[in-house]
Amino acid sequence: MRLNARTLEGLYALLLLLPFLFTLGVFFLYAFLRAVYFSFTDYDLFSPPQFVGLANYLRLLEDPLFLRALWHTLAYSLVVTVLQTFFALLLATALNQPLRGITAFRTVYYLPSVVSTAAASLLLLWLFQRTGLVNQGLSLLLAYLPHLLALALIFALVQGGQVLWERRRGAPTGFWDPALALISLPLALLGVYALGFLGLVGPREVRVEIPWLPTTATFLGIPYPLWAIILMNTYTTIPTFMVLFLAGLKGIPKTLYEAAALDGATPWTMFRRITVPLLRPVLFLVITLGLIGTLQLFDQVLFVGGSGGAPLEATVTLAYYVYGNVFPSGATPRVGLASAAALFLAGLTLLVVLLQRRLGVSERGWG
Amino acid sequence: MSPKEAARRRWARVAWAYGLLLAFGVFFVGPFLMGFLASLKTNPLEWPFNLGFAQVSPKNWVAAWRLGREGAGDPWLGGMRPGREVALEVAYFWPEATPPELQAVIPRRRPGAGMGAVFESPYAADYVQLFGPDLLETRPFRLGEAEGYLYRYRLQIAYQGEGPYLERVPLDLEAPRGALLVAATLDPIRFERRGRVASWDNVVPGLLGYTFHNYVRAFRETRSLETGQSLFLRWTLNSFLIAFLKVTTTLVFASMAGYALARLRFPGKEALFLFMLFSMMVPVQVTFISNYLVLRDGIFGLSRLFGVETLLNTYTGLILSGLVGAGAVFIMKQFFESIPKEVEEAALIDGATPFQTLFRVVLPMATPALGAVAILTFQGAWNEFFWPFIVLTTPREIYTLPLGLLAFRNAYGQVGDWGLILAGGFLSMIPILILFAVFQRYFVEGVSVGAVKE
Repeated sequence: MRLNARTLEGLYALLLLLPFLFTLGVFFLYAFLRAVYFSFTDYDLFSPPQFVGLANYLRLLEDPLFLRALWHTLAYSLVVTVLQTFFALLLATALNQPLRGITAFRTVYYLPSVVSTAAASLLLLWLFQRTGLVNQGLSLLLAYLPHLLALALIFALVQGGQVLWERRRGAPTGFWDPALALISLPLALLGVYALGFLGLVGPREVRVEIPWLPTTATFLGIPYPLWAIILMNTYTTIPTFMVLFLAGLKGIPKTLYEAAALDGATPWTMFRRITVPLLRPVLFLVITLGLIGTLQLFDQVLFVGGSGGAPLEATVTLAYYVYGNVFPSGATPRVGLASAAALFLAGLTLLVVLLQRRLGVSERGWG
Repeated sequence: MSPKEAARRRWARVAWAYGLLLAFGVFFVGPFLMGFLASLKTNPLEWPFNLGFAQVSPKNWVAAWRLGREGAGDPWLGGMRPGREVALEVAYFWPEATPPELQAVIPRRRPGAGMGAVFESPYAADYVQLFGPDLLETRPFRLGEAEGYLYRYRLQIAYQGEGPYLERVPLDLEAPRGALLVAATLDPIRFERRGRVASWDNVVPGLLGYTFHNYVRAFRETRSLETGQSLFLRWTLNSFLIAFLKVTTTLVFASMAGYALARLRFPGKEALFLFMLFSMMVPVQVTFISNYLVLRDGIFGLSRLFGVETLLNTYTGLILSGLVGAGAVFIMKQFFESIPKEVEEAALIDGATPFQTLFRVVLPMATPALGAVAILTFQGAWNEFFWPFIVLTTPREIYTLPLGLLAFRNAYGQVGDWGLILAGGFLSMIPILILFAVFQRYFVEGVSVGAVKE
């Protein structure tokens, strides 16, 4: 029997797709359907599941640890996404210039995001110890605050003076004129040095010892250990998204900026009116990827918790809650409850994606 | 504006741009650099953070090299072998004219905490003899404001008779209050009891043993309870093996699936693509319970197929569950769509099957995409934590590196051995950093290949 071309092509496609369909079918579809099924049952991984209807979902809403995990996940996701998107965009705009050696800088900036979450978590643990580098840095900053203030003051005075002088000579000069600032900055540094030499400003004795990790204290409703994770993760993900933005920025025609410059647009106007609108697809992608990634925070919770680390109530997230209920230490697994929580997490993720599409941030980035 | 003025401004702008770039560079690399420096220190949590510590002094490198060679003939890792002898000189400042009473002792100190404490390694105190301290020289000396004398002593450590190879020979040197250690052949690793006791963990360290003290410990102290072999090395090899297998399967299967999705017509193609996108958005935490059970009990005799009771704690299970990721398929599909159709049509006219077209014609053209997928998959596999953490639980020998790091953190976090924890973290970064240095173009572009290209 001869197969017709259509059927033959379909068969070839099936053959080519077979390994992928196997993975997708067994380890995603089957698993997803089973998770839905488990969420309506009482199951402990050993005896057969018992159907209990919506009881698991109701129990979730009464579990204070779940509500805490939910709040942590939402807060973490929101804060990190906002911070990383903002700074990645800022950095990409700054880097999107025809400067010599810019690729070397891009490479260096990308470095932190190559490192595994496990290794980054170990670094995080060290950085946020009571006598760690973060507290030392903060102490240093506070100790030299008078110097910094004096520096800013002298800079503003010298720069202001120069700008006024230039304007009186008839040159249209803005306050941030780089050429003048290049003179003002060394002068300001010299001024601060002189003040220090005369003993007018001196370093203060400051020792910041914030217990970042072993605490349940909160700042703006978010516990300190979670703030530590927020800072660290923002730091490691900025470069990844910066690279995405850079790729997007490359696609914006230069002529648009040239035309705008001819019309006398300021850099800020150009950024708002040209860069951001044309970057929308990438922006959508970055925000979506950021939200999906942050909603699944797990590794750091495990690393930061444990002996000598943060208490569970201060760092628990939905992903950790799910894990903790499937493999609780010294208790029977609550798979039904965990599945319900996991589906909640999945729902949240899908909701975020759908919401983004609704809000009109273009979806072209998904190809 | 005069041309001169314009040129001046342009230069100023460039200077600012580079200044900013440099500042950001310091920001992104600084913490890693500081962490690395701290991992060399005896106390990584020292306040204030000091950049001039003993392990970065060239004088100590030379001394450590020499002592290691004299002690065991190994200038890198040092140690002490029978029949060898080493000498150490120290100089104390002491305000009085009579020499201070020095007490030197080779303590019976355990090599470490956590996992390292379990092993019985021979105590150097049982095998080596300490001679001295012998006074070599006395001369008047001024230390800051204080007037006094400088006393130079010599300590001799000899390993006579037969015995095992000693990894380390610790030494404690106690001086009376007011005596200050101003120089030593090899700077002590720490001072105890308010500076009265100068303490060396190893007076025959070798160059690596002194500067990369914590790194050597990571290999020496983290050993398997059963076999005594270095776990850290095992974990690294495991990670490599798994990442290699994953990259291989992903490259083959993702290009197959990507090609089918990009070029072949079959019913349900659109639906499959949408479903694939959906699968990329669902968190692992939803599917891991079922996947765990599939590996534990099998499904339709899946694990029986491999002739084992369960696929948990096996690499077969780990690889099988991650043959090909949807993300890789997505990248390959996008790439194949960008290749002109004419190339394949020519092959088709020549009577090639889709398999032949794919492997003979299209794939050789797809090196950039394959490179990106390989790098991204390797990075993903090397760094993956959650799923291996579920699948690989016992014994410790089968862990991947990230799981090993968690074991590290749990073993040494409690005793606050941050030097060892940091060293472990940095050791785990080395392979991926080397890979990054070589293929950084693929790393940086790989992200955008998958995401932005349309």
